[in-house]
Amino acid sequence: MTVRGLALVVVMLSAPPAPALAQPAITAVRVSGAGPIADPAARVWKDARPVKVAMLAQTVTLPNLAEPAVKELSVRAVHNGGWIAFLIEWTDATLSDRLLVDSFGDQVAVQLPVDVKAAPPSPMMGHVGGRVNIMQWRAALQHDIDKGAPSIKDLYPHAWTDVYPDEVLGATDARPYAGALGIENPVSRGVASPVLDQMAEGWGSMTVKPDQHALGKGEWKEGTWRVAITRPMVSDDVNAPRLVPATRTAVAFAVWEGGHREVGARKAWSPWIPLVIQAAPPKAGAR
Amino acid sequence: MAKVFNWQLGREIDFPYEVERPEKQFAMIFDTNKCISCQTCTVACKTTWTQGRGQEYMFWNNVETKPYGYYPLGWDVNILDALGVQAMDGPVYQGKTLFDAAPTGEVILGYVPDDRDYAHPNIGEDDSTGTMPRGAYMTAPHMQWMFYLPRICNHCTYAACLGACPRQSIYKRREDGIVLLDQSRCRGYRECVKACPYKKVYFNTQTKVSEKCIGCYPAVEGGRQTQCTTSCIGKIRVQGFLGKPDKPDADNPLDYLVFIKKVALPLYPQFGLEPNTYYIPPVHVPPAYLRQMFGWGVERAIETYKRAHEDTKLLAAMTLFGATPEISHYFRVDGDSVVGYDAKQAEIVRVPLREPAVVRELYDIKHKVYRTNIT
Ligand code: SF4
Ligand code: SF4
Ligand code: SF4
Repeated sequence: MTVRGLALVVVMLSAPPAPALAQPAITAVRVSGAGPIADPAARVWKDARPVKVAMLAQTVTLPNLAEPAVKELSVRAVHNGGWIAFLIEWTDATLSDRLLVDSFGDQVAVQLPVDVKAAPPSPMMGHVGGRVNIMQWRAALQHDIDKGAPSIKDLYPHAWTDVYPDEVLGATDARPYAGALGIENPVSRGVASPVLDQMAEGWGSMTVKPDQHALGKGEWKEGTWRVAITRPMVSDDVNAPRLVPATRTAVAFAVWEGGHREVGARKAWSPWIPLVIQAAPPKAGAR
Repeated sequence: MAKVFNWQLGREIDFPYEVERPEKQFAMIFDTNKCISCQTCTVACKTTWTQGRGQEYMFWNNVETKPYGYYPLGWDVNILDALGVQAMDGPVYQGKTLFDAAPTGEVILGYVPDDRDYAHPNIGEDDSTGTMPRGAYMTAPHMQWMFYLPRICNHCTYAACLGACPRQSIYKRREDGIVLLDQSRCRGYRECVKACPYKKVYFNTQTKVSEKCIGCYPAVEGGRQTQCTTSCIGKIRVQGFLGKPDKPDADNPLDYLVFIKKVALPLYPQFGLEPNTYYIPPVHVPPAYLRQMFGWGVERAIETYKRAHEDTKLLAAMTLFGATPEISHYFRVDGDSVVGYDAKQAEIVRVPLREPAVVRELYDIKHKVYRTNIT
């Protein structure tokens, strides 16, 4: 391991398991219905009380920004017994969903400890032995899903190329010319969901999981993002938490303002916040 | 930050990781005096590696005209400007490296180019510093000048791209020092694009991750020089390996030219990355400009180069440029020829040091004709 890697581990292990500070708990309110709650305009959100989450600059590891743009998120949480969901809202004057060398995309992420019984691991993407599940919604993925991935012609209308390998070679032979797409890098390939279901155990270890369970949707209107992120409460994924009604765990958030060139470690984050998963309502007629 | 020794600067520098020198270091030498900016190297790299979607304006190899050519636009003047004026005197560099100059929150001083900076790969091509006044005559260095600068990734010993990647998606191979960007691990943060002062990492809008020169590693592993080297029309390049700077091997052509004769110099050594492409400086360009670009050894390198015809071994090493597609690990003068050897000391090429000249008579008695071509 490199010296820097070692230093990071030491810092992470010594980081306190982040007590809740003064941040009020977020309650995932039991709502009726079944299946994913992926629509930011769904009626169920009316049942949940928005909680303000103060966002801090990530300044522990390099690189970082002393003043990330987003200072506060407004978060609501609900669950229907099968799926848990978060509605995250924040002000962002610029819609950033196009990726060019100098254009970065808006993003927001929900982090849950994988082991809900243990004390939460380092709030900063977990630590070795303390895994976290990070569901990251990306505006650029949302754009690809809603409007299609931008081609070179979309990005540069006057571009001209005589021939691409995939126009003259078979799919297999053309793969080596497709860079990260040819080897199915999960951030390159087309996705069905704008939310990447990932796990991490410390900085630099973020990994997109082979099985994707997270869904969601983001809408930007009049300077505000409203993003819903949802996942099954229980799955066969060993790198996801088992979320059971009438228990408590923790949740944390990260947000990136693409227009402010926030990406990767250049972000705003929150410490762990207690997450209460509301019990199922008593069955009608039960005593 | 770890302390590492940068031989080009004669001192230790700060680098984010503890690094050991690779067993041998991929390196390339360019004789700028011979480059004709034909861009055959650029096309060879492009047709081999970067024909795909999203790679249209990605030139892992490019050739720019100095002083007014840059790809991407202004790459060197921008970072020189940000670093500020530094003393360029040896043998120990006293100025700041880009790592020394890192702003708070950053690994290194860098910048992300604007997208449009990549739109003009041949800006400034063939532009000279100015026009010649009436009555001007040839002086050396030239009164007005330009020269061609071919560039690839420098496969730096202390690679900024690698040091800046928070995911360790970029790695340097122990066996040959080639710096590679793992296409399955990259998440497109562009920290490498920002950090590399040579701007030799590119962002691909179609794959959403970054890409860079791969040092033609499949060829190099097979003992062959890179595509941009073997295709070079001007035979201005040689690619091989450098050994350890403190234990140069006089039989290795690259060690001999770089460490022993010091006729080939690194590009912007003051940045601190220990870049591993080396340039024989152009003899006609004012040294003040070259010193900023190649360091304080410029005058000596030019002097050595000009006297190469008197130095058989130096001439022999330089005769290997463009002489074989294979990598010469060793070389030896054998009579009037230079012989190149592969890693197992087997002969791979033999080239006469002086081309035989045949002068034909202007009037051909046999055919009763005058020859117009008499060379
Ligand atoms: S092929 Fe050789 S001579 Fe031509 S531009 Fe490239 S380096 Fe220069
Ligand atoms: S030239 Fe740039 S891309 Fe190449 S190794 Fe050095 S820092 Fe990395
Ligand atoms: S070494 Fe290979 S990959 Fe790198 S610039 Fe030359 S041809 Fe391209």
